[in-house]
Amino acid sequence: MDPKFIRNFSIIAHIDHGKSTLADRLLEVTGALSQREMMEQVLDSMDLERERGITIKAHAVRLNYRADDGNLYQLNLIDTPGHVDFTYEVSRSLQACEGALLVVDASQGVEAQTLANTYLALHHNLEIIPVINKIDLPAAEPERIREQIEQVIGLPADDALLVSAKQGIGIHETLEAIVKRVPPPPGSVDAPLRALIFDSWFDPYRGVIILTRVMEGRLHLHEKIRLWSNHQVYEIEGLGYQAPKATPSEELSAGEVGFIFANIKTVSDAKIGDTITDAENPAAEPLPGFEEVKPMVFAGLYPVESHEHGLLRDALEKLRLNDSAFSFEPENSVALGFGFRCGFLGLLHLEIVQERLEREFNIDLITTAPGVRYRITTTRDEVIEVDNPTKFPNPTDIKQIEEPIINATVITREEYLGGILALVEEKRGVQKKFEHIGSGRVLLEYELPLNEIVLDFYDRLKSASRGYASLDYHFAGYRVSPMVKLDVLVAGEPVDALTIIVHKDFAYERGKVLIERMRKLIPRQMFEVALQAAIGNKIVARENIPAMRKNVLAKCYGGDITRKRKLLEKQKEGKKRMKRVGRVEIPQEAFLAVLRVSGDESE
Amino acid sequence: MVGGVYISYPFCAQKCTYCNFASGVFPREMEPRYLAALRREIQQHEWQWRPKTVYLGGGTPSLMDPGELGALLDLIPGRPWSEATMEAAPGTLTAELARGWRECGINRVSLGVQSFVRSEIARTGRRHTAEIVAADVALLRECGIENINIDLIAGLAGQSAASWEESLEWIERLAPPHVSVYMFEIDEDSRLGSEVLLNGRRYGAPEVPCEDLTVELYEAAVERLRSLGILRYEISNFAGPGWESKHNLKYWRLEPYAGFGADAHSFDGARRWQNVETAAEYVERERPAAEATLANLEEEKFFVGLRLADGVAPTAEEWRRYDEPLSRFLREGLIERRGAAVRLTDRGVLLSNEVFQEFLGK
Repeated sequence: MDPKFIRNFSIIAHIDHGKSTLADRLLEVTGALSQREMMEQVLDSMDLERERGITIKAHAVRLNYRADDGNLYQLNLIDTPGHVDFTYEVSRSLQACEGALLVVDASQGVEAQTLANTYLALHHNLEIIPVINKIDLPAAEPERIREQIEQVIGLPADDALLVSAKQGIGIHETLEAIVKRVPPPPGSVDAPLRALIFDSWFDPYRGVIILTRVMEGRLHLHEKIRLWSNHQVYEIEGLGYQAPKATPSEELSAGEVGFIFANIKTVSDAKIGDTITDAENPAAEPLPGFEEVKPMVFAGLYPVESHEHGLLRDALEKLRLNDSAFSFEPENSVALGFGFRCGFLGLLHLEIVQERLEREFNIDLITTAPGVRYRITTTRDEVIEVDNPTKFPNPTDIKQIEEPIINATVITREEYLGGILALVEEKRGVQKKFEHIGSGRVLLEYELPLNEIVLDFYDRLKSASRGYASLDYHFAGYRVSPMVKLDVLVAGEPVDALTIIVHKDFAYERGKVLIERMRKLIPRQMFEVALQAAIGNKIVARENIPAMRKNVLAKCYGGDITRKRKLLEKQKEGKKRMKRVGRVEIPQEAFLAVLRVSGDESE
Repeated sequence: MVGGVYISYPFCAQKCTYCNFASGVFPREMEPRYLAALRREIQQHEWQWRPKTVYLGGGTPSLMDPGELGALLDLIPGRPWSEATMEAAPGTLTAELARGWRECGINRVSLGVQSFVRSEIARTGRRHTAEIVAADVALLRECGIENINIDLIAGLAGQSAASWEESLEWIERLAPPHVSVYMFEIDEDSRLGSEVLLNGRRYGAPEVPCEDLTVELYEAAVERLRSLGILRYEISNFAGPGWESKHNLKYWRLEPYAGFGADAHSFDGARRWQNVETAAEYVERERPAAEATLANLEEEKFFVGLRLADGVAPTAEEWRRYDEPLSRFLREGLIERRGAAVRLTDRGVLLSNEVFQEFLGK
């Protein structure tokens, strides 16, 4: 199609501000889906969504729209995942667009995530069309929100669209605005092929399916393509677009969006942000912005039943087929046996993987406390990266330690400011910005160590703000910090899986809280058990779990042998779910005690 | 083969706060129907052996009308039984009642005293006093019932080492030949237990002794009773030589017993079965017993038999099969050898579930 009649756009919105409803409405009005099909569509994608754990609904849908000017336009709606863990993916999706609808709830206003994604879109020179949604609600204050968009984001909003996706108000105007305000894709059809991979997933029948935006040139069936980052050549076996049903086609030309499959075996070969070019007539330069996505958060994953180690490895390999952002390598823990050190984009990503392993592969897991990757310069001036606390070099061999730092944006209400400021201070935050953005809301920007975020920041932020705080963050580099390794000894033996890295100034306090928590979580054993926290050889905290005094059935009625047996079996079963470290049975919860070692002892 | 008979009478004047009997207190209006169902169940029973012992448990079977009791016991073969026990609530006894019991074959009475300390008794929901118990004991003896058991519970709300001492002194004074000492278990099955778990204030829940104190009370009782010549022959049961409960020993020695009534359990030497739990269900049912299951006697030999002070004698094959736990427990001092037998040590008694578990599912 002539690029003049193509518009590529995405929708930026905070959770619950109405992105899906608006998308559904656009599909419905353009006839992509009948009302009845809508239901099916929703159900279908829910399955897939569940499978992938992130928003993929209507991921790149082609809509045909006859505009008021009489022309038929091809509108490609490119949906983006909605979580801070997936910022890079979002940025690649945005790169595939020329415009974005910025959807803001007419009563809630701008949230941190929206703000961050809008800046991303501006960075990619996207035309942004503010959409004030849910104007039908009694609490709607479109004028106030309009001001807020101008004030907070710095975006002119006098031509913001007033919409109620739910009621179908303003949908036509939205479509017209897309046609009139979003520029057509610029690339030339005759230039050598350059197509952007903005998503990919593994299909057991067709191999990897790539979602792509052709920036220049053409992609056609049976074409030999080359992927820029790995130089591999593949032949396109299938190609088409989603409307929203997968529709096969012969060709995708500059400006168009669609899917291809080319017998690619793993998603790690089809990296998001990579450039597809023609194998015989390659472009001179790749598209800008490609990055190898690096895991930021690391944790050990261990099977509860050690004989399930092989199963876990198979499961991790299968997951990786579909998720190149996640990494794993074998790791051996004295306490937990054989497991894997896994890297994730963030905590949500970790949770998704963990949940899939437990649910889809039926493996009981022990996950060690998540941590980050430190950059350590040794006294011999070697620079090493360490993501496993147990692999930290001896303090005498360390010249300096650098830890990853993030820039975090928090938007909240003034009344919760006290608690949140206390929290970010406690988390070693450095204030960068403090701004009242109207209507009793405040925008905070802080530089925070990522290590503090992966501990318990989300939960703490949520409780400090009763849920009225939104958070967004971006990796901002490394900073030298005096970090120390805090070991936990149970009955005199160090339990490697409980080792954490903490800031020197917090080590005593954290050690104390950690040991106290563990004392409550580890049941009494047949003998007294000492719990200690140590930095090097120095014990910084100690608690004793007194020996079990009594585990006996001394009750009245003797004849009920079956019930006695059941009780004994239940006790025995309970022990099986614990990990035996030396002579001590440690329940799984104790390994997660490290997660909640700061401040809040409320629950 | 000789066996025992257990008869369940799940009716009480009120439910005690420590009581964990699943079925609770039933309205007395149900009693006539219950007794009829009970008689029917006993009549329909095909006796494979002649009962040597009878045990009337509850509930509070001492509340039963003497005529009804007589009619019920007439249905049980084997009179005179070598032991026939009636569980009784202190303060409800009369000479007439006790003589009536004697006449229909009862020769042992178990008094649910639990504590001799007024404030502790009051919080359980009971109404007796130490003096009433003393009068009951005297009355039973006058009526020719010498074989008396007194139940005590360690771990009741408000108990202390000193108050426990008071109860033990009463034991010394009354000198019953048999004493049972239970340890209060904090679980949802009793009102007091749930109150403790929910951090409530009723029934004196905040003053329920901690695990360590309960253990100390139990240990103090073991010592004191030993000095009185009342020796532990099972984890919760203590008796002067020759006064051990013949009926209860059948449970631990894997001898057969037939249970009648709600929630009664039976064992025929190979299979176990259990009646429906509540009186309400029991009166409705044509057949009150659930499907029998085959007992695993190899395992029961240990996790039941080791409850006895005499312990059990493992065969050569069992020494091999249980070599790991047996040698570990010997090393840790939880069990000890005594001739061909092994038995729990004092510490092993308190941690007996830890020991028993190892004999399951090997």
